[in-house]
Amino acid sequence: MSTNMNRRTFVQGSLAASVLATLAGCGKKQDAAQSTSGGAGTAASGAFRYYISSPDCIDPYNVNEDQGTQVTYNLFDSLTDFDYEAGKIIGKAAESWEPSDGGKKFTFHLVKGAKFHNGDPVNSEAFKRAWTRVVSPTYGKENAGVLDYHLGMVKGYADVLAGKTEDFVGLTCPDENTFVVELSMAYPDFPYVAAHPCLGPVPKAAVDDPKAFYKAPIGNGPFMMDGEWVDGQYINVKRFDDYYGTPASIGAIQFNIQKDVETAYREFQAGNYDKSEVPAPQTNEAISQYGQSTDGFTGTPGHQFLTGEEASVYYLNMTVTDETLKDPDVRRAISLAINRQAICDNLFQGLRKPADDILPPSIPGYEKGAWQYSHYDKEAAIKLLDAKYPADANGKRNLSIQLSFNPEGGHKEIMEMVQSDLEAVGFTVTSDTREWSAILDDYRKGNTQAGRLGWTADYPIADNFLYSLFKSDSGDNCSKYNNAEVDKALEAARSTIDDKERIAAMTAVSKMVGDDCPIAPIMYYSHREITSDKVASFNFDAGRHPHLDTAKMA
Amino acid sequence: MAKYIVRRVLQFIPVFLGVTIIMFLLQNVVPGDPIKLIAGDKAMSPEAELAIKADHGLVVTDENGKPVLDEKTGEPIPTPLIQQYFNYLNGLVHGDLGTSYKRNLPVTEILLQKYPYTVRLALVGIVIEAIIGIGAGIISAIKRYSFWDTLVTLSTSILVAMPAFWLGMLLQLFFGVLCKNWTNGAFYLPISFNANGEFQDWVYYILPAFTLASVSTAYTSRIMRSQLLEVMNADYIRTARAKGLSRKAVIWRHALKNALIPVVTYIGIDFGVMLSGAILTETVFNWPGVGNEIYLAISQRDWPIVMGGVTIIVIVVMIINLLVDISYAFLDPRIRLGASSNKN
Repeated sequence: MSTNMNRRTFVQGSLAASVLATLAGCGKKQDAAQSTSGGAGTAASGAFRYYISSPDCIDPYNVNEDQGTQVTYNLFDSLTDFDYEAGKIIGKAAESWEPSDGGKKFTFHLVKGAKFHNGDPVNSEAFKRAWTRVVSPTYGKENAGVLDYHLGMVKGYADVLAGKTEDFVGLTCPDENTFVVELSMAYPDFPYVAAHPCLGPVPKAAVDDPKAFYKAPIGNGPFMMDGEWVDGQYINVKRFDDYYGTPASIGAIQFNIQKDVETAYREFQAGNYDKSEVPAPQTNEAISQYGQSTDGFTGTPGHQFLTGEEASVYYLNMTVTDETLKDPDVRRAISLAINRQAICDNLFQGLRKPADDILPPSIPGYEKGAWQYSHYDKEAAIKLLDAKYPADANGKRNLSIQLSFNPEGGHKEIMEMVQSDLEAVGFTVTSDTREWSAILDDYRKGNTQAGRLGWTADYPIADNFLYSLFKSDSGDNCSKYNNAEVDKALEAARSTIDDKERIAAMTAVSKMVGDDCPIAPIMYYSHREITSDKVASFNFDAGRHPHLDTAKMA
Repeated sequence: MAKYIVRRVLQFIPVFLGVTIIMFLLQNVVPGDPIKLIAGDKAMSPEAELAIKADHGLVVTDENGKPVLDEKTGEPIPTPLIQQYFNYLNGLVHGDLGTSYKRNLPVTEILLQKYPYTVRLALVGIVIEAIIGIGAGIISAIKRYSFWDTLVTLSTSILVAMPAFWLGMLLQLFFGVLCKNWTNGAFYLPISFNANGEFQDWVYYILPAFTLASVSTAYTSRIMRSQLLEVMNADYIRTARAKGLSRKAVIWRHALKNALIPVVTYIGIDFGVMLSGAILTETVFNWPGVGNEIYLAISQRDWPIVMGGVTIIVIVVMIINLLVDISYAFLDPRIRLGASSNKN
């Protein structure tokens, strides 16, 4: 090279140096070659590799979506748990409890000698601390959460929520192992509420250093954090040996964060995951290749694709204050006109089941046929409409409906089928597609005519569906349904002490709402989970609670 | 020189303010309330909504961080936009880009975790661009009107015409699906992380880096070709030939050096663009870089991440452009910077 290259050499040299500096600054870790041969790190070798999409939060106070919740379930045990198989509520951190004061007071007796992952005792104060943390806007956390509503019926809720006090008067701790909850109203279903993963206990460390706790929560569950949550990459947990219950059989779990289910499933097929989800188009392939789980909720070798029905429902929301939709007959006709089986068969290979009620069958209070208009009967729909809205020569009526929905996530295909079903009975249907973020607020305010929504049970009780969706002043009542009779019946039903009577009363309310058809249930969601052949058994219940503590590797 | 650099750095300020103000206004125009989205499908209590807004500085708060209510209406007072913008600038000066709406993690932390992947992808991309682009440009210039020249011209036209994301999908289809057995799944993305979240293999870089570099590789070879041809007609080249140097020596020692100046500039600026995170390429390949993060954040209306990501991009692009301009002065002594340009 010629001698007058020095200028360029200088520039190249300094560029290279700055690039190296950038890399060093970004913390370049292992070499590619090394990481291939090194494989999994020591902590996670032989770990159960579990796919989740990016969680919002794993700290119990704000577990508002199901991905982070799947992690939290393994780190924390709430007072109770719902056993879907037996269909009843069982004790977890509490070995027993009893209601008193006509269902307004609950005394929980904690399991003695239980410890947090850091060795602290799990006492009644730990529950009070945790629950105050869920409701208070500032106590023991860096950022506010959105789950306060779970404790809305506990005495003192409003003051804590408003930030006036950090002493939750409805929660008292007479001794180490007794936790007393006083409600402002009778709510015999409260033990179901107490099963929610956001209500697990937290040690003092949570309040002392909320920032560290947020990324590495310390719980009382069968597994403990192994390092911090690494955003967008992974969360490692390992077995907690001092667990008060039966210790887990698997030693460690790596929750592997992937951006989408397609990617995760390819990784699964490559043998990198022990549990993943299956994208809808691959359903048939997955069934033939991996075999369907016999009960729908347990994966065993050869029966690895879990397709059990979840406690959630997909429905068409109808704004009852709308000029056209205020006529219940129109809403009934819409509900009758939707061919639910065709949607389930064509779009979900029959894995999802048509919904004939707002309550899924796994929820106590479900009764077959309770929603008399929630099935496909085109003739009946036409008959209902003919009386008031006669059809012209082309079969068109003077009825137009606008369906508002977010097209992504397969909703467009579902809504297109609904649209053609409605057109078939004489409606003029237009669609208004927007992004979810842009449409959600309009749903809530009742600014849309009809749209799609889903509801997942917070707790497996009828009240959680009926009160949330149909009580006139509920924030989740998007159809703006307002029926004083239903409101009254709901209040009465939820405070009925006797279990059987309460459930029967809920069924009765459900029937009343079903006759009015403020929404049209379309289908029940089903699992799309899959386990690898290395997993001897793994149960994923209808409430999307992964029972990794009882899972076994082959 | 120092004066020139100072002047350029001062020019950063209006550019930076311009870009961030536009971004800031845009996020307030886009429909959809990001705070309402946080709770997912379920409604949250008004108190919770207010507390979250207070956390993120969207409502006026007192010194304890509690929301201040309007005396007459009892409603919370939204922070004026101009105040929000100043808060953002103030945070930025202190190295604080705010907290993610969805995940409540500091934005700086989120972005720093993603940035190494974008940097590594950009490095591989720039190497591909330099080697293939310059190489192809030289070949087509030296062997003008030959088969090779036509091939380069044709293929660069195709690459320029093809959007990067489309090329990325075609490559995925070809290597990942059609040639799956032949490549033994090596190119087949998604990216695998091992237990520590590292990439398992360098081959995963090839397809995304090639996609990222495709259009600019084509431009690089075009620029290289035309520059080299232009230089070859210059007087000093004729002189060099006349004094008896071989064609090869003339090209390598005299022509190439000068022809490279605009090419290096182009590649340098392009490196800045790549470092700013290729949103399309990263999304198509599910690359865990800043571009993908910004894309996700936009779809979730997680404005602090979008704002923070754009801030970093603006700064990186400005710095790279400055470096390129400085290097220009070294590469071509005829370019006079700063004070000397006043003489003209």
